[in-house]
Amino acid sequence: MNDLPKQKETTLSFEKIKKDILHPMQNHKGLELWIVFLITVISVCGWAYYIQLKDGLGVTGMRDYVSWGLYIANFVFFVAVSLVGMLISSILGLLRIDWITPISRIAEIIAVAFVAVAGLVIVLDMGRPDRVLNVMIHGRFQSPILWDVTVITTYLTVSALLLILPMIPDLAICKKELTKASPIMKKLYNILSLGYINTPAQHKHLHRMIRTLMVLIVPIGLAIHTVTSWLFAATLRNGWDTTIFGPYFVAGAFVAGSAALIIAMYFFRVNYKLQDYITELQFDKMGKLLVAVCLVYLYFNLNEFLVPGYKMKTGDDIHLKELFYGNWAIMFWASQLLGNIIPIILLVNNKFRKPLPIMIISLFVLAGAWFKRYVIVIPTMLHPHLPIQNVPENFVHYYPSAIEISVTVLSFALVLLIITVLSKIFPVVPIVETAESKGIEVKIDA
Amino acid sequence: MKNTMKNIAALFLIFVFSGSMANAQGWTVPASAKKKQNPYEATSKNISSGKKIYNIQCKSCHGDPTMANMLPLAPVAPTDLGAQNFLVQSDGEIFYKVNKGQGAMPAFEKTISDEDKWMVIAFLRSFDKNKKVKQQVAEVKNPEVTDVKLELNVNEEDKTMLAKLSGLTDKGKRVGLQGIEMSFLVKRSFGYLDVSGEDPYTNETGDVQIQFPVDLPGDREGQVNMLVKVTDDAFYGKLEEARVVTLGVPTDPVNPLDERAMWGTRANAPIWIIVTFVGGVLAIWSVIFMVLFQMIKLPKLAKSKD
Repeated sequence: MNDLPKQKETTLSFEKIKKDILHPMQNHKGLELWIVFLITVISVCGWAYYIQLKDGLGVTGMRDYVSWGLYIANFVFFVAVSLVGMLISSILGLLRIDWITPISRIAEIIAVAFVAVAGLVIVLDMGRPDRVLNVMIHGRFQSPILWDVTVITTYLTVSALLLILPMIPDLAICKKELTKASPIMKKLYNILSLGYINTPAQHKHLHRMIRTLMVLIVPIGLAIHTVTSWLFAATLRNGWDTTIFGPYFVAGAFVAGSAALIIAMYFFRVNYKLQDYITELQFDKMGKLLVAVCLVYLYFNLNEFLVPGYKMKTGDDIHLKELFYGNWAIMFWASQLLGNIIPIILLVNNKFRKPLPIMIISLFVLAGAWFKRYVIVIPTMLHPHLPIQNVPENFVHYYPSAIEISVTVLSFALVLLIITVLSKIFPVVPIVETAESKGIEVKIDA
Repeated sequence: MKNTMKNIAALFLIFVFSGSMANAQGWTVPASAKKKQNPYEATSKNISSGKKIYNIQCKSCHGDPTMANMLPLAPVAPTDLGAQNFLVQSDGEIFYKVNKGQGAMPAFEKTISDEDKWMVIAFLRSFDKNKKVKQQVAEVKNPEVTDVKLELNVNEEDKTMLAKLSGLTDKGKRVGLQGIEMSFLVKRSFGYLDVSGEDPYTNETGDVQIQFPVDLPGDREGQVNMLVKVTDDAFYGKLEEARVVTLGVPTDPVNPLDERAMWGTRANAPIWIIVTFVGGVLAIWSVIFMVLFQMIKLPKLAKSKD
């Protein structure tokens, strides 16, 4: 019994890798049930969105003070999570760090799903979504909103390319191996694999393209979250009027993205039975990476709150007191402690970097990251520089309405659906790259 | 150690206590200062110029005399300066307090001239129930009139303006009203600019002439909106005359939206931001299209087996 796992590793062959990775894509009953469940959730919540579309944004909890509510907080969160694609497959990939090979595709799938829905969340937040094109037609170059729309579209495009291009050899395998696939899927594999048969010329050409995109996505990835932070930092409002908002958001994004990736890794490992590929090594390394990015984020948090907290200048003081010991204290400190400080303390211990404990910790980190965005967006909106006189009671408080919460659930379900569908039609672990990294000969028939 | 702490605590308490004592005792005014008398007579002219100064310098905190609409400051709110319990003080006492200030009340020793301060005191005295008789003495007596008229004559040549205030006596004779203060106001972006000058009081014929400033910007044609009125509504009710006059310097207005700026319209965006945006988008997307174009090559490379 003892020597079994070790033996298993030594007996990996190209045929076995292909079988292990491709098998769950077609023979997973639970997966279809899960997709049906997600579609049901989306349909029910879609009805909530229909009400919002019919009756206008008045059905949300947003009023004159808080005009950026749950939706925008959620948008920032989605953009943040999507940055993991750039961190894992690009930054670590360019550094030629080899343990990321089996998880880089999951990272790209997360990036594509989250950034696509992030863009959609903005449309969901619009009272007149039919006018969305006006942002492009009449957008001002001085407005961060035009930059945000541009950079999110660009990031989505490059992320999708970085998902597809490294997958071309695997798609060529899918074309041959997945004989039971539907004709549409076969056609898709055929088109996307671009006649790849792993000739040296093709290999070289493909990897040059991938490397170009890997370099390209670094500035785009930094830009996407910096520009998102500018939506806030380009105003004079207390809590947003800070020079470190760009790097602060980027650091926070790495935390949220890494946590999301660890959770996804865990579920694919368990459900797709990929224990031989997404090994404890990957969890251990991701745990260390999470500690590193959490420490950077903690450092930014110290600067973001300690320095204004020391000065307590007029305007800032109301905002900061609300966060430190006012109405927002529980959410603020919970996101800081449960979402950042305690995970750091736990994850420096290697016992907690095992798959299950680190997945649970990552759930807290991800939830903390979500609440952190909520605490960034809403308290500032509640304290305008020029308060309205005789303001109605429901302006000075903000509670998301049931409609708003349903539409937010819709966005989450949509993200999960995109991830699920992508992982059903595409191999989640790179077959060819895994084989190559283990020194196994790769053979793709024409 | 314990004793030192006690001593420090005791000192601290004494310090705090003495501070509050001084507060509670209020203002002590030296006897010599108390004796001072207002050297200016309580004429309606002096009172109305006192009112003008009061409105500029005092009203923002003290509110209108007798109206008790002062600013609600804590711990001590400003006094209603028209209240009788304030006016029981001598002229000298008020003068001293205005000069020295205390707490939130600033010292006006150097910021308002003595003459102006005495005018304000004369104005405040007009609310004093005990001295009402005295202040009437020096006032110019105008006959009882009805149908008071304000006529305006503008001389655009030498930029002067003549206002004539007249009323109809019970004998049916139109007479000029003397010693009434007029205000000559020019409408600017925010509120009115007072161009009345030093002595805007009507003479015995009811006339007052002012010199319009030579350098005041007007619109493109040099037009400005004038408002001439009797300063104090208390005499004959609200009397005013609005007129557009061509006395200003013709000026082309500058619209901040016309220049290239961050706050401008899209067409007026700063060049550098357009270049950065368009340049960035072109650079990134040309690389993306280059990669897409390279993808087409991939199938062809399968055939060239080497």
